[in-house]
This record gives sequence, C-alpha cells and structure tokens, in this order.
Amino acid sequence: MSHAMQQPLPLAGETILSARDVRKSFKVGDRQIEVLHGAHLELCKGERLCLMGSSGAGKSTFLHVLGLLEEPTEGEVLLEGQSAWHLNNRERAALRNRHIGFVFQAYHLLPDLSAVENVTLPARIAHSYGTLPFERARIEAEAEEMLGRFGLEDRIHHRPNQLSGGERQRVAIARALILGPQIVIADEPTGNLDTANGERVLDLLLSEQQSRGASLLLVTHDEQLALRCDRTLVMQDGQIMADSGVEIPH
Amino acid sequence: MYVRYLSWRFLLRRPINLIGVLGVMVGVGALIMILSIMSGFLEESRKTLRGSLSDVIIQPLNLPRTDGVQLPRSAEPILAALGADQRVAASCARLSWAGILIQAGWGADESEHQLKDPQGGDMAFAHFVGIDVEDEFATTELREALLREDEKRQTSYRIPVDDVDAPFARPQSFSGSEPWDWVVVGEQLARIRGLYKGSVINLVTVVPNARTDTVENCNRKFLVAGTFRSGENEVDLSRIYVDRRALSEFLGYSREFTQVLVKLEDYERDRETIEESLGASLYEQGLLHHVGSFEVRTWETFRGSLLGAIENERVLMGIMLGLIVLVAAFTIFAILMMMVTEKRRDIGILTALGATPRSVRSIFLMIGMWNALLGCTFGSTLGVLGALHIDGIEQWLSRTLGVQIFNREVYLFDHIPAVVSPVGVVAIVIGALVATALFSFVPAWNASRLHPIDALRAE
Repeated sequence: MSHAMQQPLPLAGETILSARDVRKSFKVGDRQIEVLHGAHLELCKGERLCLMGSSGAGKSTFLHVLGLLEEPTEGEVLLEGQSAWHLNNRERAALRNRHIGFVFQAYHLLPDLSAVENVTLPARIAHSYGTLPFERARIEAEAEEMLGRFGLEDRIHHRPNQLSGGERQRVAIARALILGPQIVIADEPTGNLDTANGERVLDLLLSEQQSRGASLLLVTHDEQLALRCDRTLVMQDGQIMADSGVEIPH
Repeated sequence: MYVRYLSWRFLLRRPINLIGVLGVMVGVGALIMILSIMSGFLEESRKTLRGSLSDVIIQPLNLPRTDGVQLPRSAEPILAALGADQRVAASCARLSWAGILIQAGWGADESEHQLKDPQGGDMAFAHFVGIDVEDEFATTELREALLREDEKRQTSYRIPVDDVDAPFARPQSFSGSEPWDWVVVGEQLARIRGLYKGSVINLVTVVPNARTDTVENCNRKFLVAGTFRSGENEVDLSRIYVDRRALSEFLGYSREFTQVLVKLEDYERDRETIEESLGASLYEQGLLHHVGSFEVRTWETFRGSLLGAIENERVLMGIMLGLIVLVAAFTIFAILMMMVTEKRRDIGILTALGATPRSVRSIFLMIGMWNALLGCTFGSTLGVLGALHIDGIEQWLSRTLGVQIFNREVYLFDHIPAVVSPVGVVAIVIGALVATALFSFVPAWNASRLHPIDALRAE
C-alpha cells in the first residue's frame, strides 16, 4: 500500500510554481465530493515535470488549479512566491495571460480565427492589461515566423477546421509560447494524435520549452513520454503518491 | 481592443446575426418613415386647416344677454373694436350658412338622383360663405386659393376668375344676360358637378324665424365665376364663396354675419392669451354674449378635435412601431443566447488565455451593439430616404400593384406629406440602441458567469 507524500522533495532549482496542501471538492447534488486531498507540487524554473496517474486520479483538476482556472477549496498556489488566489480576477487573469501557456489535448483553437490570429490572440489580450504594447505588424511577423518554424508556413491563414490534428496542435503550441511564458501547462498534448504526429508535436514542444528556458508541466498516460521529463509525479485518489525526484538527462 | 476585435469577428462569422440586423433595420426604418409621414400629416393638416381660416375666429351667440345689453346685428362694431387692438393686424366678417346645391339645366337630373340617394348626400350639401373681398384677402388666404394650381394632376379642373381682386364681378367673356350674382366654388365641387364658367346653380336653404316660430325656405340662382383651391378637400368639395351682402339679401336679411376672422400681428406670441383677453375685452364692450366662453377661439382650438386626432394617431403609431424595435431587440437577445451556448468552449479558451469575465461579457454585449448599430445605420438611412421620397414610392407601388394606395380625394391633401425631424431620428436610434443594450445584457451576463472549466469541457 502506498502513502501520500506529505511534502514535496527538496529541489535544486528556483521554484516558480508551487502548490501547498491543495484540496478541491465539488458539490454533486446534496453530496460534497473531494477530488484533491491535500496535493503538493513544486515546479522549478526550466524544469520538465510529468504528472501521471490513472483516469479519475484528479490530474486534470490539479492542473486547472495550478493553471489558475479553478480555485482550490483549501491550500495555496504560489506563482513566483505570490499567492495567486489572493489576487483579484483581473490581476489573476493578467498573471495567467503573461506567465502561463496552455496546450490542451483537444487543441482548443478559436474556430472563427485563422492560425496566425489564434497565435496573436494572447498578445491582444496582454495589450488590454497594458502589460504589452500591441504592435500588430511585429506580433504578426513573430507569429508567422513561429508558425513557419513549426512547418505551417502554408497554413498561416487557414482556419482550424482546415488543419489536421497535428497542425492544430502545433498552432496551439505556438499560441502557448508567443508571449514567452515562464510556465507551459500541457494536458495530454499528444492524446488525440497518431504516433508519428504525436512524436513530432512532442519534439517541437520539448525543444521550444528548452530553448526558451520555460518550465513544463505535462500530464500524460504515456510512460515513454514521461521518460523525457526531468521528474515524474504520480497521482492517485487526489494525492501525489510518488515523486521520481531523479533528474533524467535529455 | 481584443473585445472589439473578437466581437466583430464573431458577428461576421455567424450569418444568423443578419436577422438581428434586419430586425432593427426594419423597426428603425419603419418607425422613422411612419413618424415622419405622421408629422408631415400633422404639419400639412395644420397649414391646410389654418388655410381657410385665420388666427382667431369670433362667433358671437345670436342670443339676448341676461344683463339686457343688446348685441349688435352688424359686424361693424366688432370690426371697429378689433381695429383698435394693437395685437390685431386685420379682420373680416363672414356670413356662413348651410344649404343644398342643385344644378340647373342638364345637371338637374343628376341633382335629383343624388337627392334621392340616401348614400349620396355628401354632394347635395353646400356651405355658403359670404365675404367682403378686400377684408377677406387681408385676413385669410383666399386670394392665394383663387390663384393656386394643382401641379400634381395632369388634368386641371381650375376655372380661374377673370379678376382675382374682384372675384364676384361679371366675367368680361360672359355674353349671357342673366341678372344673378356670381359665386366662386371649390375646385373639387366644380370637378365633380361638371361646372364651368357661367354655370347656373340653384342654392336652396332654410331660415328659421324666431318670431313666428317657423322655418322659411328660400332659393336663388347663382352663376359660377371661377374656382378656388384651399387644399382642404372638405372645403374644396362643398364651399361656395359669395358676396356677403348678396347672401344676406338671399337669406332675407335675417343675419348680416355669423363670424369674424382675426389675423394677429404675432400669433405665436399671443396664441396662449388671446382667447381670454380678447373675449373679456369684447364682452365688456357689449359685443359678445358670454365672457370666457367659446365665442372667441384660436384656429387651433377651433380645429382642436381634428388636430388632436392626428396627434393621437401619431403617438399610437409610434408606440405600435416601437414594439417592432422591441421585437428586433428580443431577436438579438435570442441570437445572443444561442451564440453563448454555441460558444461555451470559446469562452473557456478565452479565459485560459487571460480574458476576464468582464471582457467576456463585453464581447457579447458588443455583438448585440454591432447588430443594433448596423441595423440603426441602414434603418435610419432607408427610413429617411423612404420618408423623403414617399410620394414617388407610393405612386410607383400603386402603378406596379394596380391598387391605389393613397386616395388623394379622401385626404385633406393631394400628396403624402413627410417631415423628417433630425431630433426624432436621433431619439429613435438612441431608443433602439438602449433597448438592444438592455436585451443583450442578459446573455452577456450569462456568458461571463460560465465557469472556464465547464466551458472548456463543452462539446
């Protein structure tokens, strides 16, 4: 029988994101169901962290809490030492916009926008917070250059429904990285792709993460994929049950 | 910035929004067009109704006063009193009497037929108005009515009098030797009865005799000298102008005048006070039966029921057409509710990318406002253009459909009047925008309340 880890293992790098004793419960009818039972996590700068676990273990909920999309019932989420859930809506949204990039299994591109428009959207939002001047030509050139590097130079003005699954996920990765976030949260990014496309997308994601020095929090079922990460956390019944704590060379 | 950008993109990518735009366009356009036409009706009615009258109408009651003061039989004392009033520019006496017109000669058969027909009574009626030409011209617009031509009709029925300044004078071109007096009839009356210069008409009426408690009938032949055109169909269909002394003689000198018309120096300045002050002044001079009664009325009070009816109609039409705008706003509400459901996942994505609930709300609110703005722009343009060219549109539609949409003989005027009020247009546009904003707020609020995770999970 395994026991939940009470504290995360001490890490050598500087922590950028940490979760302390996070609990999350949902009300279903008259019942209160606790999905997270005091989960801990520390993500260091530039680290690749893999979160594994069976279906229903609470990975996605934990990821949403860490991505500042879901408020924990108890516990704290600190981004660069700052308690994210003590901020107001606008400040937290601005923090999410500038510091966290999301890559979803289902791509989640806006169907009404072209590939390049999807990629530049976070910059438009950042401009509304005054955290980034929106120089349209520069941002668009940057997005087009990035899409070109991702092998989508001919697909820049295509809408998501005109792209293949692999192409959509590459656009989603470009969108997640366009503002140079410190954290990239990827929820089963290859889950909807065939092996070849999955490999290609993963290579792209890992190489971009490495070259930009961003931290990567990756949720996957794939053990091979986990081997390419620095550290693996295993989640079970809403708790972190194991931390590999071993740096795997890559 | 991205709120405007995304709302515009969402709008363009959903053709269903066109229904919202069309709804507002039709509502705003119809409201502007109909209210402009109703305002035109009101303004034209005011002009027309005022046209055959003057600023103030004095109608003394022909009854003895309780204080024993004897009211004058003649209009001269009233005209003299008015001449001394600084506010009065001109005044004239009229002898107004109702009767029946019966044509002589070949028209007599038709007159008999109409008199027998219970449905055809309108043409048997004639309204005789005895006037003093010089005073009448100074006080009313009769001189203009004698010269006015109908430019819209291809066939003119106007019979011009030989000398406008002496309309009851025997025409030089007339070779007959009949001794009867000459009259000027309404253009529509001449058209319908087929009258021409020199036509002989019989005027028949009754005069009550208070002393004998009997009614005496009297009739006399007159000759048609020409026509006038007041623009007020009712007047043009039944009125016959005749010299006041000739009419008084025809009525057996039982009355010399029935009303006095007054033209004021500044009607707008005195309109509120003139009825009371002039009434009191004339009563004190022993020229009116009552003080503060209906014997002195402005033309607006005199025609109050008709003006009030048109104004009421305008307000009612405004309310009814306002409902179209409300329905259009409700359509936008329904479209936005549908869009919010359809775009649940997009809302989750936007939140993940850093959008706040407030900006999500603004996006959907702005989609509603784009609908309203486009609808108002097209609607107000079409409404204003439609109102300005309504006469041409009506004639084209009548020709195309083969149905007479606006019967010019039924209404007071021969064209569809329209007055576009810029203030009215702005008020309608603002009303439509406010209604849309209110109706859009609910779906926008719903969108902002969506939980990002639920939204992301949406299929």
